[in-house]
Amino acid sequence: MNMDKPIRWVAVFGMLLFFGLMAQVNYVQGSEAESLRTDPHNARQYQDVFNSPRGQISAGGEVLVTSTPTGKDNPKYGRTYKDGPIFAPVTGYFNGNATQVERAYNSLLGGKDKRIANQHWFDTFIGKKPEGANVELTINPEAQRRAYEQLKAKTAPGRRGGAVVIDAKTGAVQVAASWPSFDPNEVAPQTGDKGVKRLEQLDKGSGVIRPLNDNALSQTFPPGSTFKTVTATVAMNKLGMNDQTTLDTSPLSLPESGTNLPNDSDSGSCGGQAPMKGAYAESCNTSFARLALQLGIERLNQGAAEYGFGKSVTLEPQMPAAESDVPVNYTDADGKQQHTGRDATARSGIGQENVRATPLQMAMVASAIVNHGKLMNPYVVSTVRAKDQSELYSASPKEYSQPLSSDQASQFEDMMRAVVQAGTAKNLQGMNVAGKTGTAEQGPGIPNARWFVGFAPVDNPRYGFAVMTEGDGFGATGAGPIAAAIMRQVLKK
Amino acid sequence: MNSLGEQIRAVLPYQRRNAASFAVLAFAMVLTLSAFAEVGLARDGHIPAGLFTIGGGLVVLALAAYFVQAKFLPYADPLLLPLAVALNGLGLAMIYRLDLDTSDTKKAAQLAGKKLIKDAADAPGQLLWTFVGIGLFVAAVLIMRDTTKTDAPLSFTPKTAQRYTYLTGLVAIILLLLPIVPGIGAEINGARVWIHVGPLSVQPGEFAKLLLVVFFAGYLVNKRQAMSLIGKKLGPFSLPRARDLGPIVVIWFFCLGVLFMQKDLGTALLFFGLFVSMLYIATQRVSWVAIGVGLLAVGVFVATQLPFMAHVNQRIDIWQNPKPYFDGGCLLDSGKVVPVNPDTTIYKREKAAGSGYPGFTACAKLGGEYSDSRQLMMGLFALGEGGVLGTGLGQGQPWQTPLSFSDFIFDSMGEELGLTGLMALLLIYALIVQRGMKTAVAARDPYLKLFAGGVSFVLGLQVFVIVGGVTKLIPLTGLTTPFLSQGGSSLMANWILIAILVRMSHDARKPAPQAIQDEGMTQIVSTR
Repeated sequence: MNMDKPIRWVAVFGMLLFFGLMAQVNYVQGSEAESLRTDPHNARQYQDVFNSPRGQISAGGEVLVTSTPTGKDNPKYGRTYKDGPIFAPVTGYFNGNATQVERAYNSLLGGKDKRIANQHWFDTFIGKKPEGANVELTINPEAQRRAYEQLKAKTAPGRRGGAVVIDAKTGAVQVAASWPSFDPNEVAPQTGDKGVKRLEQLDKGSGVIRPLNDNALSQTFPPGSTFKTVTATVAMNKLGMNDQTTLDTSPLSLPESGTNLPNDSDSGSCGGQAPMKGAYAESCNTSFARLALQLGIERLNQGAAEYGFGKSVTLEPQMPAAESDVPVNYTDADGKQQHTGRDATARSGIGQENVRATPLQMAMVASAIVNHGKLMNPYVVSTVRAKDQSELYSASPKEYSQPLSSDQASQFEDMMRAVVQAGTAKNLQGMNVAGKTGTAEQGPGIPNARWFVGFAPVDNPRYGFAVMTEGDGFGATGAGPIAAAIMRQVLKK
Repeated sequence: MNSLGEQIRAVLPYQRRNAASFAVLAFAMVLTLSAFAEVGLARDGHIPAGLFTIGGGLVVLALAAYFVQAKFLPYADPLLLPLAVALNGLGLAMIYRLDLDTSDTKKAAQLAGKKLIKDAADAPGQLLWTFVGIGLFVAAVLIMRDTTKTDAPLSFTPKTAQRYTYLTGLVAIILLLLPIVPGIGAEINGARVWIHVGPLSVQPGEFAKLLLVVFFAGYLVNKRQAMSLIGKKLGPFSLPRARDLGPIVVIWFFCLGVLFMQKDLGTALLFFGLFVSMLYIATQRVSWVAIGVGLLAVGVFVATQLPFMAHVNQRIDIWQNPKPYFDGGCLLDSGKVVPVNPDTTIYKREKAAGSGYPGFTACAKLGGEYSDSRQLMMGLFALGEGGVLGTGLGQGQPWQTPLSFSDFIFDSMGEELGLTGLMALLLIYALIVQRGMKTAVAARDPYLKLFAGGVSFVLGLQVFVIVGGVTKLIPLTGLTTPFLSQGGSSLMANWILIAILVRMSHDARKPAPQAIQDEGMTQIVSTR
């Protein structure tokens, strides 16, 4: 009996075992490597981050965030933020963990991204550690500073304010300012345990203030009358209206409770009947509440989704903004699911009830109008360059949606101009801005959310903006001048 | 009738391949020394001291082994020794590299007045064991040297072992049982496979592995005629007779016992796989393989059903889905495995109470048995860190993986040498196994064929079980990675294994003795 045949089969089986191992090693180190490296349990990605300098973050050619040697062993490098509180809503902080751009571009800033390794494969080959790449923001630093100062000066004590300016053609965010803010220097790696404690304190916040959640991108507020832009868009699209359609501006008693929905004044356009343009310019609540009732909350919700409501807008990978919403169903104070009723639908139409929006969201509404109805996806990083200045990433503008037609967009431009010429914001005449005012009530004893959402320059507009600040009084006087000051800086060449 | 191989060899006899062997050995030594040099250059910016002491030590040992082999077994397979040297050398370089970094940890621990880490990479120790291992190789080659006089003093060939079949079997079983004897046995890292001999920890299983091959070969070569007899036919299968089922069932029970007593899935799989493959080689009956696989399936099924074997289940659960069990999987009495990770309330409560091992104490409070996927996952993280090209020797952080120098040394290699390096390592192993199989085919004696086949297969299977375990191909078990892992028992046993294969390959490749024909050619009487 010859044993050679079975020995050969066992040898073949042995080879199969090795093929199995080789396939598995290929799978683990080839296709799974990236997900293993970023696995939340994998502590390696957080270690060693203080041992090499991290890339810089700059805006408008001005370096804002740098890594500096501490002269100590751990951390070897600290992180320094120029004008920390002003730019914190965009840069975020870094202390091993990170937020905002520090988080979204962590692998590039930290030098661990494949793109760096691919570009510098020879360095990798000879064992030179890849260096962190530098991130350039789309932010206009001077305008950002102006926005911060303005918000700081004009927001009621203990309350919040936020401003966003978007280049409508591309979606590049020029300003994303928040008051109050926090100083990322206080929690940077070099602060050690003190920084950890400070971070806990910031995370807890006080009152309505949550310093780590900025008021430009990460907090929502009732948009008030500025939401009429959205209601009017949906009415144009779904009910076939235009800016000349005659609307009923007479007093309205709500269908369920019978209570009266007030206009600010029942004279002028709001005195009984007016074309949509006039009702918009003078911000007649009753006519837009009627439009909302006519549309129903579902259609209002779907129409608003075209602008980005109901989803969280992703500025950068892993950098989502807070979700704005026009809820069809909402959770009440007892934690029960409730359907938005008829009265609530009417109030939703004028940006009250449960309607919430970030300043970013409202700036996107304005930008869509400026860009002939095309909404561009907002973003905050323009380029990423390796240490040797070779480009690793460059933003390419993407269309987000088209919530309205080019014709409708130019009607809205005119309607917004009319607000300043003849409507609620006559105080802003000559300031080269146009827009919609909003004054949202937030409950008894709580200051109003005062809004101004619009565009600049008035002729051939380029930028969409939204300014929100909490305090007494109206949007036109509370937020309008802030917007005008910011836009003057943005338009300065 | 002669096999095809024999017919070819009759025309083309094997040559001495000592020059080729030396060239490959030189390459293996350059590889090892380069590895040492890279560790130092990348890590500290200069050629490390270890290059001369430890790397140099290995070179001297390897040269000694080569000359002994070339002198006494000139027809030996040219690749076996260089391949083993390459593996041993790379393993040494990795352990040296890990030792440098754990040494710093040790120093820091000493400065802080903390207790030393007991289990750590120890390059000088490993060099000592390499010395002993290659010394055993040299000794084995000398003892088994090819002499014309069969009664020369100390003459012992692999064939001689056939005389002591049952004795080796008995010794193998005693060695396997030693670790569970109270007093000498020790449980290290969750498996009872160690014994204490004076100051040393020995894994007798490594030696038992070799002795079992000797026993199986001797036993099967006697019984193979009977065991290949056909009892009944069942479709395409010709079943063996029921009375011949005895041995395989005994081995099966034995392996289940190992599994239960020593909690060592890998060893059980290794021995059972070894027996089934040798049984197949001896009898040529595929039905034996089918029966073996069937018994294995039944065994695993039983193990997963019996309550006292539930830890097998736990291991399989954790293997299939390791992520939730990173910080702990708790085996409850019901047989269910629940995660005890930082998201669970029990974990938080234990942590708040100040427990150093919240997962472990939380599980104890639940009355369950604790296990986790931390080691496995951290090993995989090391592989992920390495990627295709690896970080380069001396530039990764392989010490972060638990047991990076022993059970998980393959993952440490993967981190620094990358996918590329691991493929090369696997190819070296595959080559050793295939050269061994080739020796088995070329051997002339049925006993030696079985012996060589078994020894080669057990090496391949061991690599499969441990490497498959640390790469999550199969559930993780604690076996050593031949020639790479730190540890004396493993090195000694594997060097003896190589010596045996070398000796057998010399026998197989040596030209058959020529009949002395001084009377001239046999006269041809008739051509018809």
